[in-house]
Amino acid sequence: MTAKLFKVKVNGQHELTVDASEGTLLDALEKHQLEVHYHCKSGFCGACRSKLKSGSVRYLTDPLAYVRKGDFLPCCCVPESDLDIEH
Amino acid sequence: MSYSTFNQEQTNPLAEPMFFGNSVNVARYDQQKHSIFEKLIEKQISFFWRPEEVDVSRDRVDFNKLTASEKHVFISNLKYQTLLDSIQGRSPNIALLPIVSLPELETWIETWSFFETIHSRSYTHILRNLFSDPSEIFEDIVINDQIKLRANDISRYYDDLIFYTQLWQTHGEGKVTVEGVEHNVTRRELKKKLFLCINSVNALEAIRFYVSFACTFAFAERELMEGNAKIIRLIARDENVHLTSTQHMINLWQDGEDDPEMAEIAEELADEAYEIFMTAVKQEKQWAHYLFKDGSMIGLNESMLCQYVEYIANLRMQAIGYDAPFPERRSNPLPWMNKYLVSDNVQVAPQEAEISSYLVGQIDSSVDASDLGDFDL
Repeated sequence: MTAKLFKVKVNGQHELTVDASEGTLLDALEKHQLEVHYHCKSGFCGACRSKLKSGSVRYLTDPLAYVRKGDFLPCCCVPESDLDIEH
Repeated sequence: MSYSTFNQEQTNPLAEPMFFGNSVNVARYDQQKHSIFEKLIEKQISFFWRPEEVDVSRDRVDFNKLTASEKHVFISNLKYQTLLDSIQGRSPNIALLPIVSLPELETWIETWSFFETIHSRSYTHILRNLFSDPSEIFEDIVINDQIKLRANDISRYYDDLIFYTQLWQTHGEGKVTVEGVEHNVTRRELKKKLFLCINSVNALEAIRFYVSFACTFAFAERELMEGNAKIIRLIARDENVHLTSTQHMINLWQDGEDDPEMAEIAEELADEAYEIFMTAVKQEKQWAHYLFKDGSMIGLNESMLCQYVEYIANLRMQAIGYDAPFPERRSNPLPWMNKYLVSDNVQVAPQEAEISSYLVGQIDSSVDASDLGDFDL
């Protein structure tokens, strides 16, 4: 698969380059050795709930956890554009 | 207002609120007001497991090697979890089924409660393996002051809702005196009791289990009581699904996506709901203190457990629209917990075991030349 690279800004301090063709956004945060919050990693518990300040994401599986306005679940999505997030 | 097991009035389930509308008649799922509950049913059923599938026989050897204070931690947690699941195995059914109005939610409630009964049976499975007669452990659950204190706070919101629902079903709305006490039964009062009850259950599913989970997984980190850990992982996975359902109910009410009166009540009782949660947080910290009263265990102590309760309370409160109550606790003090809570890693067949001592009935066929070093020909 060809790489789909996006810039992801995390907590206003880290700038990562994330390949949307490789794993979920949460995987990417982990790979960059940021402290990640999660439990199920499958979209049903909501423990990874984060704020999406700008940009858009695409879910690989539909989240079952309640996603409040402005929130998203990085464990089951990939970036669709450059992102600015709070995790 | 008496309950009918098959309401013969023609109703439109798409226009009903989750609770206190018309009672459900046809169990149909072709049209759904809140389809999330059927998705949760599917997810939960896909997680079906039986306690007997998990071999806990090695745990007995491990248990006998534990220190007295570690045994206290292990057994106390099992007692507490037995209490929690005793309540959860029946209460959603008794309290919520008589007032539910959507077929998909009704079926979710039954599925939820059923899985809690699997958890209850698994505690007996674990204890029967450790003791030839576990009855002393079970009998202590209704005597032990530490457990009773928690039991009271968990069951009272359910009991209150159940009692008022019974009054409403038998007398309808209005004032009614029972055993010398006057009760004013109104639909709004009932809805308030429901709101508080769901918030109390949400706190239960959100944090009450996690002190016990942390101890179990801390033992497993030392390769002790791994059969038990495997069962608790399955339980933790189920509890996360249950938690999602109570978070959905609370958020749907808050957002006015269900019953406009419940949106008002959610606002009116926001502080009380917050207090219910914070009381649970306080009680869990006290529980951590009780667990470690005779000494801590390797890798875990009271202070770390309390920090974990605060960390997880932040996640849970934000999930239902509150600010993090412990803003200084942003980091996970027990990062190893996560590997036990990941759903993908839960073993579904014996041959998939990752914990090597639980390759049930399997043979370790790897032979290194050094294994034969002692042989002389």
